[in-house]
Amino acid sequence: MKVLLRLMPYIRAHIWAFSFGISGLLVARIFEAMIPMYIKMGIDSLTEGKAGFDFTSTVTQQALFYPAIAIVICVILQMLVTIVSRILVRRIGMYAAFDLRNRIYHHLQLQGPGFFQQYSIGDLMARAINDISLVRQVIAGSTRMTSVLIFTAVVGLGFMFSLSLQLTLAVLLPLPIISIVAYRYSKKIYDQSHLVQEGFSDLSTFVQENLNGIRTVQAMAQENEEVERFADVNQQFADRNLELFVTTSMLSALMPTLAAAATIIIIGYGATLVSAGDITLGTFVAFFSYLGLLLWPVREIGPLVTQWQRGASGTARLFEILDHKPEISNHPATDFPKLTGRVEVKDLSYRFENKDKFALKDINFTVEPGETIAILGRVGSGKSTLLRLFVRLLEPTNGQILLDNHPIDGFPLDKLRDQVCLVLQDPFLFADSLGDNIAYDNTDRESDEIWKSADAAALRDTIEDFPEGLKTILGERGVTLSGGQKQRTALARGLVRMSPLLILDDCFSAVDTQTEEHILSGLKRVRQNLTTMLVSHRVSTARHADRIIVLSEGEMVEMGSHTELLEKGGFYADLEKAQSNTSRLLEDLETSDE
Amino acid sequence: MSEAQLEPNKDNNEKSQNEPNNAKLDHSIFDADIHGQSANMVYLARIFSWLSPHKKLATVSVLLVVTASFIAVLLPVLISRVVVDNIIIGEADLLMPDFGLNTLMTWLATITGLDPIIAACILYGLLTLLCHSFYHLHRVTFAKAILHSLRDMRLDLFRHMEYRPSSFYDKVAVGRVMTRITNDVQALFELLMGLGMLVGEFVPFFIALFIMFAIDVKLTMYLLIAIPIFAFITYFFRMATRRVYRMIRNTVSQLNQNLQENLSGMQVVQLSNRERKNLSVYRVINQKNQKHEIEAIYLETGYGAFMDNMVNMALAVILWFGGGAVIQDAISLGSVILFTQFVDMFIRPIRVLGMQYNVLFRAMASAERIFQALDWHEQVREPVKPAKLPERIAGKLEFRHLSFGYEEQDVLHDVSFTINPGEKLAVVGPTGSGKSTLIRLLGRFYDFDNGTIFLDDNDLNSIPSSEVRKRIGVVLQDFHIFSGSILDNIMLGNPSITREKAIDAARLVNADKFIEALPKGYDTLLVERGQNLSQGERQLLAFARVLAADPEILILDEATASIDTETEQVIQQALKQIMQDRTSILIAHRLQTIAEADRVLVLKNGRVKELGTHEELMAHRGVYYTLNQLQFQDISINPAE
Repeated sequence: MKVLLRLMPYIRAHIWAFSFGISGLLVARIFEAMIPMYIKMGIDSLTEGKAGFDFTSTVTQQALFYPAIAIVICVILQMLVTIVSRILVRRIGMYAAFDLRNRIYHHLQLQGPGFFQQYSIGDLMARAINDISLVRQVIAGSTRMTSVLIFTAVVGLGFMFSLSLQLTLAVLLPLPIISIVAYRYSKKIYDQSHLVQEGFSDLSTFVQENLNGIRTVQAMAQENEEVERFADVNQQFADRNLELFVTTSMLSALMPTLAAAATIIIIGYGATLVSAGDITLGTFVAFFSYLGLLLWPVREIGPLVTQWQRGASGTARLFEILDHKPEISNHPATDFPKLTGRVEVKDLSYRFENKDKFALKDINFTVEPGETIAILGRVGSGKSTLLRLFVRLLEPTNGQILLDNHPIDGFPLDKLRDQVCLVLQDPFLFADSLGDNIAYDNTDRESDEIWKSADAAALRDTIEDFPEGLKTILGERGVTLSGGQKQRTALARGLVRMSPLLILDDCFSAVDTQTEEHILSGLKRVRQNLTTMLVSHRVSTARHADRIIVLSEGEMVEMGSHTELLEKGGFYADLEKAQSNTSRLLEDLETSDE
Repeated sequence: MSEAQLEPNKDNNEKSQNEPNNAKLDHSIFDADIHGQSANMVYLARIFSWLSPHKKLATVSVLLVVTASFIAVLLPVLISRVVVDNIIIGEADLLMPDFGLNTLMTWLATITGLDPIIAACILYGLLTLLCHSFYHLHRVTFAKAILHSLRDMRLDLFRHMEYRPSSFYDKVAVGRVMTRITNDVQALFELLMGLGMLVGEFVPFFIALFIMFAIDVKLTMYLLIAIPIFAFITYFFRMATRRVYRMIRNTVSQLNQNLQENLSGMQVVQLSNRERKNLSVYRVINQKNQKHEIEAIYLETGYGAFMDNMVNMALAVILWFGGGAVIQDAISLGSVILFTQFVDMFIRPIRVLGMQYNVLFRAMASAERIFQALDWHEQVREPVKPAKLPERIAGKLEFRHLSFGYEEQDVLHDVSFTINPGEKLAVVGPTGSGKSTLIRLLGRFYDFDNGTIFLDDNDLNSIPSSEVRKRIGVVLQDFHIFSGSILDNIMLGNPSITREKAIDAARLVNADKFIEALPKGYDTLLVERGQNLSQGERQLLAFARVLAADPEILILDEATASIDTETEQVIQQALKQIMQDRTSILIAHRLQTIAEADRVLVLKNGRVKELGTHEELMAHRGVYYTLNQLQFQDISINPAE
């Protein structure tokens, strides 16, 4: 509950609107509670015979006219005040939700890969959607409802006491029981609706899994068994729904039945008081209205308490994310020179959390401006880890990377990533136009620049095949690209930036060898005098590089030019022999088809 | 075709392209986004057809609500006519209806000797209890009828989708089918419960109206004027909010999509320094959303406060006109009080109706999507006169002039060959040669018209698909692991497989070692896709699954992913075990697997290129020879082996 205090700044930011809103609600309650008084007044005039039988007489008219008009005025005033104050308070909730959304969005952008391993996207989405709406409800709903309930009870009781002390005290007797029952049931309802939600997600999971595996199900002729299993899950969901429904219905039945106790007190005790002349008939009738006013807060206590609780846990979940410190610290340095692309890697080691083995061990090498370096190695040899260290997606355990003799952790992140461009192995594209995906870092780029990089990435033909060209929308609502096309688009996205250091993480895996050759020559053309590092599995790719680094189990085992390494006769030379053989055979296979 | 090679890594990347006919998912046939679709009677009638088995329950429920409503109306009558008019004022005007309540009270007072006021209290308590018990029973029975009919609908829908063929799922995104079974049925639940609520509100409304007319026609008429006004205002409010709500829904889903995409591509975002730009895009959508949300707040608050307070306004009307009538002795004072108590019953139905309005539109869109799904009738042709197969068949397969193509491209051309009972045939060929299609046709996942496949001299098309799949066990490359225990995954709900048989099967394929090392052995729960198992373990599990099912013919689409040598040995052993005495077709990627086969069939571009033993084909020095060489090269590429 204490965590709710962290929402205070959102209320404080609109403290005037909030105070006005809440006081307005109090005023509205007073107007509302006055209405039964006027009904009483009217009824009393009728019974006391103030209103004569002559309906046309002014006395009669005044006796009824005054209360009727007073009611109308009360209603209108109450309505206006309520509207204004409700809007004032509800808007604050919306402002808070607006700000929290932006805040969490911004905060998520600061997080590194470690954070995203800890929290799944689904989890983060749920927090951003559900928990923010819970917070909104607390700020705009729970505070308002709580005030309204308290005001209603206080004002209502005030009027009742002023009318009849004895009858009020008598009517209050059953109210604690009602509120206890309401509280208990709303807890039960909360738990059961949780079960229903779980049941629904079980149901969804079952259907999703089943449909994902529909081919297996059909191949094993298990459709009927699956339908039977589904029937169980389905039945359970229906049962849980029914249980929840019985509880809510029970509550809706119990509340008025218990409230009837208070009504009976008014009838029994009130009628006696009327007969004894202690209260008027008007008071008697007004008490029914006041009872209605009082019962409402009593009934709402339970749901309101759970609403506060849910709000508190939602707030806690939200601030858990907002309090998460980014793994990568950012140094907002002032001056940042344009890099030449000289790279120095010094005693670089990296170990993943909870792992004993180093993913990278004591890596040392230097790259001169304009050089192209290929990195080869098996799966798990540490290639991708090495590349990620360059853009500070990961922080080294030991050692450092120097760019133009400056350690990279001294650079502001955005400046570093502006000049060091890493193209990831998995080509993630956004549901946006093809052109904007290529010019993702800066959508204001000229189309010649985009076309130039598209040419280098052998993407021109693909783009020109689409009638919309660069404006073609990708994603579910647009065109789905093949794996190779995606990879080439991601590559173009990296190339277009012309950064002094470009790093390609196995970006040709889904591209055929011919296209790859095409891309490599394009790469040479556009990246003249610029430093490029690339990871590959193929010798045919690596041979184009000035130097080749071979990694194995996190260690650098070989480094040198293509010819040097071939002469050396190690891992690289073996690989070269095997792969050239393969490609020759593949050509055979092609030509053998008549 | 330079991409056609057997390199393992590549195959996975290219998988999306190898799917039949490169099909882009065709969403057009499932999109039923309806804007402004009105309540469609045809849909409603169809929804009610699921309700009809629960007709009795629904009828009882309606009877209960009518009874309960009648009693609910009696309660204010008791207070006004009996307590006020009779007991307090002492003038039980006999012209006004009191439904015998005065008599009942007097009777109760006389036989018990209680004070009339106490008797009235007891009566009030009893009636309240009765009324709310009936209401409770009504709600529960109603919910039960609805829940059960929608449970049935959901099951029917699931069953229907379960039998759609592979060609259907090639075109449909699973998510779209899923939301129909889950969310859309849920929307109908909301609709039907809402309709039930309307019944619960309108019955007392009419009863109250009837009584009010009986008491004073003029006063009732004055109050009735309010109804068209309310209805009118409600209508306009709904029209206004509909647009706003739609804008809110749109902006919210844009916000979520943006966030989701940003989270999925976070690394690219960060590496491209797009954080600030993306935040500003998000902020713009957020701003738009806020604008509409605030519009909604204005509308809702205005409408809500208006409707709340109009109840009180009606009180003024009653006091003015009703009071006048009392003075003229036209009605009793109790009756005026009665009117004040009925006001709420008068206004609620309109509010509820307004609330249900939006639900109705959403539900109609859902109904359309559900019925659309139920009307997809695409299915594999089943024989009209199914051939009868003996208990156990020999397992001979013959392909005769089989040609097949997906919608746009031809895949198999005039394929003919025979496999004798118990024979093991390896099928090899470059990617895209039609190997997988061969399996799909054998499993009756697709219809084929050109050419025939014979299973023990029966035309495959004359055997029901379920029967075919029982006889031909297929181990797919991406076989699916269901969340559930290991044992469940072996038995797959097949009642003819006992626990012992399943464990035996696991033992025979050497899966017992890793299974018994797991914390709960055979009862260890697996997550979907078996992420807590290694590649090799999953393969063994799939073998155990097919061995337990014990089909006469085995088809294995070997997984291409690389496995360490030790696991490979275990898998080869297991493979031998499951192929024993079984006609087998192996889509082979590994030399060792090919070595297990009696003969090798080489497919290329959908045609049979070579067929013979390993030695024969090696001597022939054709496609097989080349592929074989490549295979050797592959091993040296991967230094792990």
